[in-house]
Amino acid sequence: MATVAQQSNLSKVLWPLAAWTIALIFFFPIFWLVFTSFKTDQDAVNPEFLFRFTPTLENYTNMTQNYDYWKFATNSVITSTFATLFALVVGVPAAYAMAFNPSRHTKDILMWMLSTKMLPAAAVLYPMTFLTKNMLGIYDTHFLVILVLCLVNLPIVIWMLFTYFKEIPKEIIEAGKMDGVSTWGEIKDILIPLAWGGIASTALLTFIFCWNEAYWTVRLTTFNASTLSTLIEGNRAPEGLFFGRLSAVSTAAIAPIVVLGWFCQKQLVAGLTFGAVK
Amino acid sequence: MIGSIFPKLFLYVWLEQDAGSSMFAEFPPATLNLNATLLRKVTRAMSDRTLPRILQTPAVILLLVWMLVPLSMTLYFSFIRYVLNSNIRPEWTTPSLSNWRGFGNYGYVLDAKDFWFAMQNSVIIVTSILLITVVLGLGIAVLINRKFPGRGIVRVLLISPFFVMPAVNAVLWINMILDPVLGLQGLAVGGLNSLIDGLRDFPVLGYFFNLWPVIEPISFRATQTSSIAVIMMVAWQWTPFAVLIFMTSLQSEDESQKEAATLDGASPWSQFINLTIPHLGRPIAIVIMIQSIFHLSLYAEIEIVSRGNGNKNLPYLIGEFANNNIGAASATGIFAVILANIIAIFLLRMVGKTLMD
Repeated sequence: MATVAQQSNLSKVLWPLAAWTIALIFFFPIFWLVFTSFKTDQDAVNPEFLFRFTPTLENYTNMTQNYDYWKFATNSVITSTFATLFALVVGVPAAYAMAFNPSRHTKDILMWMLSTKMLPAAAVLYPMTFLTKNMLGIYDTHFLVILVLCLVNLPIVIWMLFTYFKEIPKEIIEAGKMDGVSTWGEIKDILIPLAWGGIASTALLTFIFCWNEAYWTVRLTTFNASTLSTLIEGNRAPEGLFFGRLSAVSTAAIAPIVVLGWFCQKQLVAGLTFGAVK
Repeated sequence: MIGSIFPKLFLYVWLEQDAGSSMFAEFPPATLNLNATLLRKVTRAMSDRTLPRILQTPAVILLLVWMLVPLSMTLYFSFIRYVLNSNIRPEWTTPSLSNWRGFGNYGYVLDAKDFWFAMQNSVIIVTSILLITVVLGLGIAVLINRKFPGRGIVRVLLISPFFVMPAVNAVLWINMILDPVLGLQGLAVGGLNSLIDGLRDFPVLGYFFNLWPVIEPISFRATQTSSIAVIMMVAWQWTPFAVLIFMTSLQSEDESQKEAATLDGASPWSQFINLTIPHLGRPIAIVIMIQSIFHLSLYAEIEIVSRGNGNKNLPYLIGEFANNNIGAASATGIFAVILANIIAIFLLRMVGKTLMD
């Protein structure tokens, strides 16, 4: 017994210590990015000022001069929000139908939808550019970015929603049917309130994926509808001369989504199961 | 999967009327008069069978168009000679059937010096990332599954990398951290070297420190190492995702089973192997599948780290071809689709089996 008690005493100290160490290691790169953003470009590459330096907000105040930050940020907010909304509007009814009225092929449809996400984007980039630029004339518009972000995330949205809806007892929906509630009423008054947590965490994850998407948003836009990904990819520092500046704009690009993630962390943890938890 | 599952599916779902799903099987046409009760029954039968189809139609049609239109164009371009700029053969710059090349683009791509390298690299990058994230994710999830002071903050710190956008991730790692001169790596190696240099002057110990070689910082933009940098930064970003999913799953683990095992004298390690790992089978499958989907199309990181020098995957190779030779880019695209299909068949089977129960 004594050894067990000793062990647990020791692990009382070691366990949190290990957890904290790993957490700090994982967080360190983000900390370093934010830290560097308060140095001038000269200080950032000078070992003398590694930790001791005069913090400056210069990088942030100059951000609008050096980079058109607000335009890109606004575009990111607009496109991510609408893409998430559209994905939910299309995804909720589809997932509802699959979860409560499954046919023999529901599984195949779901698997096929997921498989469309495996289609390598690079393989169809050229046709997409050709179509949107030369034929449809919607290249570099918010509409196109929203549409593409919505389509790229739709399979994951439907899959996540499906796994939540499946956990809701069918009897509740059936009872509504008996009472003569319309399908729209079922979705609006029974399903959405019951699955609110799942829908919220799906929306959150979709929003994160939209915000961080860096292939289509960069390649289907030139300036008008470009998002923060384009800003970062277009301005990566040549030979590290502008570490301070680059850190500031990178911090500003990730800050909204990281803070959102922190606040909704509990929600995300509760919802991010993809049906893996029984 | 993309090509293979689809035709069968389409036929089944939208064209085939199995007996049970036809409302006329229950209500033969002869009885279809304006009878109120019957009408209601018909509507009910319709809403049971037809409405679900109508509800999922927008999603299916959108994804179908999204997949089929570009894919068929890619297929078409892969069989013709199609380049963006050519002074010698200007007729190749417009897509047309008269420039038919058959399987010529495919042969050209298979002979290209980077093709097999890119193919192999795609697989290596994805598998390494998967291996690292699953192993690390399991360890960390078990570690923070206990109660300890500040667990909430630890959790917040741990999942933060998942929210960082890939472009920032790459810029941050390759410049501020891994740069051999200006990054933390360069500074750390420099500091270590000068520390050892100082110790060389010590009377006795100095002899041993003189044997210590001067450490050279590693350039992660060089050919062989840039894939390591990419694997490192992507694994950093996606380990939190694995942790999140494993953590949720661990919370639903049967504690009484573990207590019984402890009373029976089972070591924590054997409990982990025999109870926890089987319990986590399904979440592991999910993590592997979602990550493969994302990492097979990795692009931004490779672009930013080395611009494809010595480290490229299939998407990147396609991008390089597409600068001029659309035919070759499309043929490579078809190869990428085939590779994704092979992987998808394994993964989707693995996950699909447990999805519906």
